[in-house]
Amino acid sequence: MKHNHKKMKHKDGNMNKREEHSEYDHKPFENEPLGNLPKPEHDHDHSSVEDKEIKSWLLKMIVAWIFTIQIAFLMFSERLFSLELLEPNIMTIVILVLGFPVIFLVGFSTLKSGLMGFVRFYFNMDSLIALGTVIAYLTGIFSLFGFMSDYSGVAAMIMAFFMTGKYVEARARGRASQEIKKLLELGAKKARVLRGNNEYEIPIEAVKIGDVLIIKPGEKIPTDGVVIKGDSAVDESMITGESIPTDKTKSSNVIGATINQDGILYVKVTKIGKDTFLAHIIELVEEAQGTKVPIQKMADKITSIFVPAILVLAVLTFIVWWYFSGDLSRSIGVGVAVLVIACPCALGLATPTALMVGSGMGAKRGILIRKGEAIQTMKEVKIIVFDKTGTITKGKPEVTDIYSKVKEGYLLEVAASVEKLSEHPLSHAIVNAALNKGIKKFKEVKSFKILRGRGVEGKIGNKTIAIGNATLMKEKKISLKGFESKIDEFEGNGKTTMIVAENSKVIGIIGVADAVKEDSIQAISLLNAQGYKTVMITGDNERTAKAIAREVGINEVIANVLPEDKARKVEELQKQGMVAFVGDGINDAPALKQSNVGIAMGTGTDIAIEAGDLVLAKGSLIGVVQAINLSKVTFSKIKQNLFWAFAYNVVAIPLAIAGVLHPVIAEIAMALSSITVVTNANLLRRKRI
Amino acid sequence: MTRKKIAIQGMHCSSCASNIEKSLKKVPGVKEATVSLMTNKGFVECDDKVSDEELKKAVARAGYKAVSID
Repeated sequence: MKHNHKKMKHKDGNMNKREEHSEYDHKPFENEPLGNLPKPEHDHDHSSVEDKEIKSWLLKMIVAWIFTIQIAFLMFSERLFSLELLEPNIMTIVILVLGFPVIFLVGFSTLKSGLMGFVRFYFNMDSLIALGTVIAYLTGIFSLFGFMSDYSGVAAMIMAFFMTGKYVEARARGRASQEIKKLLELGAKKARVLRGNNEYEIPIEAVKIGDVLIIKPGEKIPTDGVVIKGDSAVDESMITGESIPTDKTKSSNVIGATINQDGILYVKVTKIGKDTFLAHIIELVEEAQGTKVPIQKMADKITSIFVPAILVLAVLTFIVWWYFSGDLSRSIGVGVAVLVIACPCALGLATPTALMVGSGMGAKRGILIRKGEAIQTMKEVKIIVFDKTGTITKGKPEVTDIYSKVKEGYLLEVAASVEKLSEHPLSHAIVNAALNKGIKKFKEVKSFKILRGRGVEGKIGNKTIAIGNATLMKEKKISLKGFESKIDEFEGNGKTTMIVAENSKVIGIIGVADAVKEDSIQAISLLNAQGYKTVMITGDNERTAKAIAREVGINEVIANVLPEDKARKVEELQKQGMVAFVGDGINDAPALKQSNVGIAMGTGTDIAIEAGDLVLAKGSLIGVVQAINLSKVTFSKIKQNLFWAFAYNVVAIPLAIAGVLHPVIAEIAMALSSITVVTNANLLRRKRI
Repeated sequence: MTRKKIAIQGMHCSSCASNIEKSLKKVPGVKEATVSLMTNKGFVECDDKVSDEELKKAVARAGYKAVSID
């Protein structure tokens, strides 16, 4: 146990909490006596890598300025007020002495990383700064021998401004990912577990699947599980964005990191560590950062050759200036300005920072961007296709009408016995209706078959039972005589009608309705108002489908679609324009993939990771509207950022080559360019979505 | 094909990220590599035969440190 325990410490600063937890997953505290569990040691060690980075830049910046301010004072008193405080040579020496710690101590890591670039042939931003400052510093030494004028004060100033820029940029980058950091910190640290008749408070890492946890009012639910005792409302807003607390009773699923409101809950743990809903969300957000938005390709290409290109450009500028002006000092000054003004960072940060802020804004509302590409494609989308069941409707159909030529009890018993073997939501509805009617014993069914998209069949004794839609009856050549008008009536009211046939004769029909989600109507009218063509796709027949479509305001209905044909229907629609498909991600995976943007709806506690480009943690259609708006504002922010980054470099580099920018001004401009881009990305938060 | 996540230390600008991407892509068997400065993570799509060691070396070649791969 001892060595396990040691592993809990940060092996390095870069492992996030989730990865630490995974250490526990492999080595549960099985033999540990209860109540004597080790306390996690990393509790106090929460400062992230970024915090450390920010602190280190701050320190460097302060030290750099302590010396640089003195240099600046000496330089400006001479230049601006012609005050010769010191002999020129003495002054150069003083500046060299003051500048030394700034460039070679504070700037050590920058110089090292930059000069290593020349060794490894992987140049980075530091290569430019290192070269610029070292050359400028050396002019000071040479000037002592009268070779040239002194730029050594400039070297310290460049370094000081560089540090300042890095500090501000690191802070702004930290802000860009603040929502994501909050997600990482959301997980509970401790859990109260019931073992035997006693309660123990244990660290979250020691919780095992199957443990029973006790969650009191106001407490955080430690991990994912299912309620086995108690009633309460749970605030799930931090995970799903749903602001109204959700009621939980026996057998409700609960999500780790949500807050129990008013009752005591006894929860049996179903998922821990990396498998929890929260862990999946964090994983999705992180992975999204590893995807690219197509528009950034150009910027990426430029970034990858930027530094070597600037090095060449600076050398050329120096040579040309020297050749034409003969002024070595001036030529060096211009060359240094070119080195330090060029900033690949603005270009390289433009997309990732905006995507990060966008992802964070989404995550807060239960909208997860999985693929950066989706937010660019979303702009082109013209048609939004919705799966019906579980997307527009609640997906929990209930039996509402029964019309039967035999006894209702008999009809339900026969139907439920067969349907019991199917997992389809409509089957559940019939089984539930039978249970509610007090039918407890079901008959034995043989040769059960699921006929996809049409229904089911099986044998009870020597009777063949077929239950399904009109297509199935037609296929089996079963006459609907005597039921047609009732079927019409049911379907006209938007009910799915299940026809029950015994030995090829219809004995009754069961009307099942799946209620529309509360906010479907509002969401679809918002989308219609934005000019999207809304389409509903369903396996239901035309009449039922149209009734629902009318209720929610959908423009077009594609009915009678078998599950496997959904993707093909999407493909057909794609001839008219880009298509976004909204589905629940489980049986809609092919259609989600086929569409230009797949929006997968979570069902509350489960999340379809592989299916969608955008994933909604809660099953509300308003989330679709928000996801679309979020994609649009994020993408326009990316475009804006890229524009500024390009514009900056296109204007600034020629100015530096022309020699109109003093190297210090060049460095300030460079620092401002990346700060502007990151700050602009942070401004995305002001957009309403 | 597998997808690997690499936690990387020492990046501070976007040319850093792009250097690591370039270095990772040079490893035989690596199909796609993206590195995020924002999360200090790299994502690699590669043949199953590519070892974690090779990836770590590629990150080191560009001048940075791969702290964990999973």
